[in-house]
Parts: sequence; C-alpha cells; structure tokens
Amino acid sequence: MRGKRVGVAAGAARVAPPRRSLAAAGVAGIGESVLAVAEEIGGIVLLAADLARALVPPRVDARELWKHLYRMGVRSVPIVVLTALFAGGLMTLQAGPFVKQFNATGLAGWAAGYAILREMGPILIGLMFSGRVGANNTAELSTMTVTEQLDGLRALAIDPVRFLLVPRALAMVVTLVALTVIGDLVALAGAAVVARLVLDIEWATMYHSFADNLRPFDFLHGVYKAVAFGVSIAVASCYFGVTVRGGAVGVGRAVNAAVVASAISIMLLDFFLTYLTG
Amino acid sequence: MFDSRSRIWGWQRHVGDIGAAALATGRAARGVWNVHVGTLAGLIRRISGRHRLGRPRGEILRQLYWIGNRSVVFIAVTLGSIGMVATYEACLQVSRVTGDYSQVGGQLLRLVVSDVAPVLTGMMLSTRVGAGIAAEIGSMKVTEQIDALRMSGVVPIDYLLVPRFVAAQVMTLFLSVLGGVVMFTAGGLTARHSFGVSPAVFFDFSYVHHRHLVLLVVKSAAFGAAIPVVSGYFGLHARGSSEGVGAATTAAVIGSSFAVIILDFVISAANLMTGGEL
Repeated sequence: MRGKRVGVAAGAARVAPPRRSLAAAGVAGIGESVLAVAEEIGGIVLLAADLARALVPPRVDARELWKHLYRMGVRSVPIVVLTALFAGGLMTLQAGPFVKQFNATGLAGWAAGYAILREMGPILIGLMFSGRVGANNTAELSTMTVTEQLDGLRALAIDPVRFLLVPRALAMVVTLVALTVIGDLVALAGAAVVARLVLDIEWATMYHSFADNLRPFDFLHGVYKAVAFGVSIAVASCYFGVTVRGGAVGVGRAVNAAVVASAISIMLLDFFLTYLTG
Repeated sequence: MFDSRSRIWGWQRHVGDIGAAALATGRAARGVWNVHVGTLAGLIRRISGRHRLGRPRGEILRQLYWIGNRSVVFIAVTLGSIGMVATYEACLQVSRVTGDYSQVGGQLLRLVVSDVAPVLTGMMLSTRVGAGIAAEIGSMKVTEQIDALRMSGVVPIDYLLVPRFVAAQVMTLFLSVLGGVVMFTAGGLTARHSFGVSPAVFFDFSYVHHRHLVLLVVKSAAFGAAIPVVSGYFGLHARGSSEGVGAATTAAVIGSSFAVIILDFVISAANLMTGGEL
C-alpha cells in the first residue's frame, strides 16, 4: 500500500505541479464528488422537465404503455405480495412485546397497521420495485444506448423521450401506486396471520383494531408517498439508462448507480413528505 | 384434428405457470444452497491452508474497502433519514394519545438495535453490494473468464466469492452498528427540534438487553452471508451477453433483498419462540 502511494506521488511529481498535501487532496476529493453529484441531480431534473413537457398534450403510444404496464405491474405482483406478507408479519412481531407488556391486544393492529400503511409498506415495496423494475429499465435502456439504437431513432426523426421514456415512466408511476395498494392490503393480512399464530390474538380483535384506529388519511399518506417514489424511480432509472457510457461494463455501472440513486431518493423523499405533511 | 395439446384451457395454463414458477424457485434455492456450501468449503480450504492455488493477494482488503468504506455515506444518509421519520411518526402518535415522550427514545433504541438497523442495512447493501457483485461476476461469466479460471485449476468460488463473503460478513456488522448510531442520533435531534424532547430523556439505554445485542450480531452475520452468496449465485449463472448481466443484476438485488426479509422474519420468530422478548 505504502509503496504504491509513493509510486503514484513520484509519477505525479514527474508530470508537474499537483503536489498537494493530504488535507488539500481530501478537500479536492470532497469538491469533486459534490460537483459530480450536482451534475447528476441537474441532469435528472432536466430529464424530468423533458418528460413533463412531453406529457403536455398527452399523446402516449397506447400499445407501448399497455405492454409496460403488464411487464412492470402484473409481473411484479408475486414478489410484492411475498414481501408485503413478511413485512406485515414483522411489524406485528415488533409490536408484540409492547402489546404483551400492557396486555393491550386491541392496540396491536393500530401499531402494526399504522407503521405498514404510512411507512414500511410504501418504502419496502418501493425498494423492491426499484430493484426489479427500475434496474431492469436501466439495463434495457442502457443496452439500447450503447448499441446506438437511440441515435437510430433520432435519425428517423422519432423523439426517444416521447417514444421510449414517457410510456415507461408513466407505467412505473401507475404500477407502483397500484402495487402499493395491493401490498398494503396483503401486509395487513400478514400482520393478522402472525398475530393469530405467534401472539394468540383473535382475528376479530385484530380486525377491530385496524378498523377503529386507522383513518383513511393514513392509507392516503402511503399512496401519495408511492406516487412520489414512482416518479423518482422512473426519472432516475431513465436518466442513468440514457446517459450510460462505455460499453457493457458501463451498463453494469449504470444499473448500480440507478439502484443506489433510487434508494437514496426514496429515503429522502420519505423524510420530507412525512415532515411537511404531518 | 385436435391433439391433446391444443385443448389447454386458460386456467390450466395458469396452473402450469404456477407450477413452472415453483420449480424455478426450487431450482434457484438449491443453486443458492450449493453456492453457500461451496463458499464455506472454500473458506475452510483457505483457513486450513490447503489448495493454495488461486489466492488473490490483498483481495479481502480490497473487498473490505469496496463493501465497507464506500458504503458509509450511503448507509448514513438512508438510515439517518429513516431514523428521523420513525421518531417523527412515533412522537406524533404519542402526542395524540398521551403526550408522554419518556418511552419513545428507549423503545426506538430497542427496535433499532434488535431489528431496524440490521434489516435496513441489509436491504441497502443488497442494492449496492449485491448489484455490484452480480454485475462483476456476471460479466466475467459471459466473457468466459470464469471458464478460464477453471481451466487453470482455480476453483472460481474460492477465487471470487470467498473474499467477498468474508468482507461482507465483517462489514455488515460494522455498517449495522454505524447505521444504528446514525439513526438513533438523527432521531434524537428530530425529537429535540420538533417536539422539544430533552436529549437526556431520549437517549435512554435501559430497554436494551443482552439479547438485543445478540440479535444484532446474529442478524448481521446472516445478512452478510446471504448477500454475497445470493448475488454470487446469480452472477455465476448469468447467460448470454450484456442483457444476461443486466438480468442477473436485477435478480441479485431482488433475491438478496428478499433473503434479508425472510431471514429477518425467521430469526425474529425463532427468538420469540425461544422465550426472548424482541
């Protein structure tokens, strides 16, 4: 390690000035990564603006949209259902000791349902969706980009944003909302099953606990979080798909970057939405 | 005129689809198990010093850096914002019911240590590290570098997967602890800022028992094993060209996230069944 660093420093000295101290190199590194992140955020915002403008007279290729709705939505149902089932069970398990401690079985559904509808449902389903659909979308678009199919479309005077990206983005937002609604329901069912099997809470107790303590607003809170997550996953995965460079290796890097960006934006958006809307 | 094949009704095809999906899942589970056993065998070979061929020098250090150090910012940002959201939601509920914030911090810490920190770290590492491992090994597979390794008498799992396995084992634990600390601190700041809860009340360690720390270690170990094994399996079974790598990456993210959720459920339920509170 040390030998290597000396070698690099010697090489740099031979080339010329950049003979920075360690602190200066650290600051430069921070600056570089800030600039890189800023450039990416700017690119994502510009692409989002492009997508929004392409939607103004809403002319969407219906067949393409339909195909993506099927591939992204219907084909994701099994994984979302399984995830939601286990997530709902986990919420009940976590509420369990608290409920037992105060012998308040009527509150188990409240605690689990509240956490599922407002936070864990949208977040976990959003993460699974970004892993399955977002990553797949980036892989597909970036393969098309590196094989210059996007340039081919442009040469035929077809706008790639309108033809390729808009149907995908639209389909992602719609399907994530639909999957979150399904997943919420399944997660509540999972919570009730685990409550019955592990904590010995009757079905009826759990049902009344859900029905009495959860308000429609809690459910809607999760749904509009899902809209925001869907938009961010769609824009991020499209952005990293169309800006990919450097062949097959670049495709892998783009997929990785898209998944990481989606995860970070889900968490940050979740915080702001919770904080701003209460 | 009609042979028996043309008389398949719609519902029969659906039953067939379900069966095919079940078979594929079973095959994948067996494959993951084989890779897991192979990795453990490779680890034993490595420790006992047999089979010296094909030991990359310094590979474990490189993987520790790549899996651990490069994930720090990602984990801190995501878990920090989740900590803020969780505290905000909990305080909001408490303010509606009793207005007594004295338990929020202690219960949050119990939950963070025994469940949330390892699970969310595992989910985040599945997206970042899992995608990376699958993309790297998958592109080696489709460019026949794995076959070349085997030709030169090197066991590919020993060469590729064992260092990643060891690094993921170590780093998942460290990152879980780091994520938990960031999460709890961010929660404390949120409670102070939004609800005026004094840090002296919030930072309450009395609810955390030995068993919770054991759970943290066990869960981190389980997730740290699951992520490289599942992603390595999908990487080693990549087919075709760059599309195959993209598909392997997607499958790795989904598979390892799902493995994290299932393992968490199993470990939590086992803990509850053996008499420990969560």
